[in-house]
Amino acid sequence: MFAAVYAAEGSSFETLLAVARDFSPRVDACGAREVIVDLDGLTRLFGDAKTIAGELRRTAADRGLRVRVAVAGTRTAARLLAHDRAGITIVEPGDEPAALECLRLELLEIFHEPHEPHEPHEPHEPHEPHEPHEPHEPHEPHEPHEPHEPHKPFEPIPTLRRWGLRTLGDLARLPRDEVAARLGQPGVAWQRLARGEDPGPLVPSVPDERFEQALDLEWPIDGLEPLSFVLARLLEPLSAHLERRDRGAAVLHVRLHLVKRDGVTREVHERSLQLPAPMRDARTLRTLALLDLESHPPAAAIDRVVVAVDPTPGRVVQFSLLARPLPSPEQLSTLMARLTALMGEDRCGAAVTVDSWQPGAFEMRRFSPGSGIRDPGSGGSEVRRIPDPGSRIPAVAIRRFRFPVAARVTVDRGTPIRVTSDRRGLNGGKVEAHAGPWRASGGWWIHDRVTSWERDEWDVTLSDGATYRVFRERDTDAWFIEGVVD
Amino acid sequence: MANHARADIETALRARKLDRTLTTALPREHRDEAALVAMDVPALDACLRGGLPRGQLSEIAGPSSSGRTTLAVQAIAASTRRGEIAALVDTFDRLDVASAAAAGVDLDRLLWIRGQSWGPASDFALRATSDRSAGPDGAINRALKALNLVLQARGFACVVLDLADAPPATLKRIPFTTWLRVQRVIEGSDTACLLVAPQPLARSAGGLTLLLAGRARWAGDADRNRHLAGADVTVRVVSPRRRVDGEVSVRATANDSR
Repeated sequence: MFAAVYAAEGSSFETLLAVARDFSPRVDACGAREVIVDLDGLTRLFGDAKTIAGELRRTAADRGLRVRVAVAGTRTAARLLAHDRAGITIVEPGDEPAALECLRLELLEIFHEPHEPHEPHEPHEPHEPHEPHEPHEPHEPHEPHEPHEPHKPFEPIPTLRRWGLRTLGDLARLPRDEVAARLGQPGVAWQRLARGEDPGPLVPSVPDERFEQALDLEWPIDGLEPLSFVLARLLEPLSAHLERRDRGAAVLHVRLHLVKRDGVTREVHERSLQLPAPMRDARTLRTLALLDLESHPPAAAIDRVVVAVDPTPGRVVQFSLLARPLPSPEQLSTLMARLTALMGEDRCGAAVTVDSWQPGAFEMRRFSPGSGIRDPGSGGSEVRRIPDPGSRIPAVAIRRFRFPVAARVTVDRGTPIRVTSDRRGLNGGKVEAHAGPWRASGGWWIHDRVTSWERDEWDVTLSDGATYRVFRERDTDAWFIEGVVD
Repeated sequence: MANHARADIETALRARKLDRTLTTALPREHRDEAALVAMDVPALDACLRGGLPRGQLSEIAGPSSSGRTTLAVQAIAASTRRGEIAALVDTFDRLDVASAAAAGVDLDRLLWIRGQSWGPASDFALRATSDRSAGPDGAINRALKALNLVLQARGFACVVLDLADAPPATLKRIPFTTWLRVQRVIEGSDTACLLVAPQPLARSAGGLTLLLAGRARWAGDADRNRHLAGADVTVRVVSPRRRVDGEVSVRATANDSR
């Protein structure tokens, strides 16, 4: 059985919801002033339906709410009765059609009202509980629980009134196929509501939850090693909580309350980690937090640790039988955090070519390979550009010096004949073969020597057998080795 | 008498579980395509009998301009082309991104770990300092740690450690047990680890060693139209267990936008 609790205008929705949750966790907030409570299992705790309704009304009155309570076998019947009758209304299961028989047809408009349970002050005008029989202009009612086009004009109540129908019983008695022929499926849905039938099962409203854990330490701790134990203790219940709610962490917040040596000065060291994918593995989260704190350590001892996460729906993973598994986001995140700690910021990731003729130009971005390769014809959203597999001839690669190496080049009649350098491992030698020059320039419009270039490039094979790419800066006449063809 | 002595030695080795690599016959070769990382170079793959073995440490060795980077990038390109992911531990930050893209590497699927890149200032500073951790030793040490992290993460089809520019003296200081540990980490995994160095270092029992010799190929008979057309690379494949041996020539072309 279900109880519909309908509060008077101006009532606090939060208070109403709290009253309902005092009785049952299965509560559906179906309006700004109305909740449905599932009474199944409450009989042994409170007594029969009348007792429960009385308790509901009394508890609400204790918190300053004036409510109507209607108990029926279906939610639809309970809501209709609560809107129509003041006080407490009890209808035994199976008696709903008879109880709804004489109710006004306009009551069906309650199913069209906006459903804003979390905005209790949303202005709207439902029926006044104390003056339920006041005539009013009907809205554009349509079945709220069954999807249909929102802008499709459907005004059944004036239509039904023109047919001579005045009560819900009049509508309920009509032949269903005739209603469907004239009003379509929405008309059938309205008729089901008039009979007190529920369009679907109750979906309880879940309260907003905070995913946060905190621990006050008796003695301040210094260093990351003792902190790791504290983080483990905090993250494990947090992870379990996330798992119960099928949520993952999108952002991990670590807030460390620090106490200075004088024991009085306090400050907060706060770090936030954007996670590449929703995750809730406590060990992974702890490792990521610790690696981040290694890079950004707190400046003083810690006496309070707060860990919070921004929840997001859990990740659904479908593995493939045909593709090799890739590392999970948790593994990749941990790997990237460890590599960043080892090699430095911006030293690990995926390279991206940039739209520039500047030699050696590239950018770095986060390494996120995604899932396995897709067939370009499959129409999937993650189709990658697949290089031409027909080109089975390897392309010669260049080993590029990120900073070109200064070289001494002997030039004879405009061509280099000898290249030497002070760099260890680049001994140089006589030029055996050469090609060039190729003139390149760019960035001259920026007037910045760092980003502009103008040079003559040469490919040279030296007597040691190695082939180099060298260039001469035209403005300084200085020679550099750009890379080795390897 | 000799047979008895040999039998005794074999029994003693077997008791100490040291018999697998020394005394028993080599395991029967069963060619499993899934256990190999093809390089998508038909002649070379034929010589390698399918490609580089997964779960083993292989190496590419040769002097400068012998085609080491070309083949390493080719192995990465082949892996990413199949939808797998690869990693490059670039000890001295020498990857040319444009070359890799031209070779067919799907850059989204390549984890590039960039080591220390030396500018002119740091080059002079290195000569002045005696601190090894600041020089090539430190760079190689960090690269080895990064390699270990990547291999332990699993899931990478091809992981390349580029030591091609490491000074010979520095390479000699790497303990040989390092490579045994690397081999131990990837054993049984789907990862083919590839070491690029001027000389053979690891000499893994299950991996392959590709010894390279190459020279540039020029096109054009006059100064005005001459250009670098590519490289002719001779690959000599050495397998400690004699499973794969042979020599093959590979022609590489220059993808030059000029």
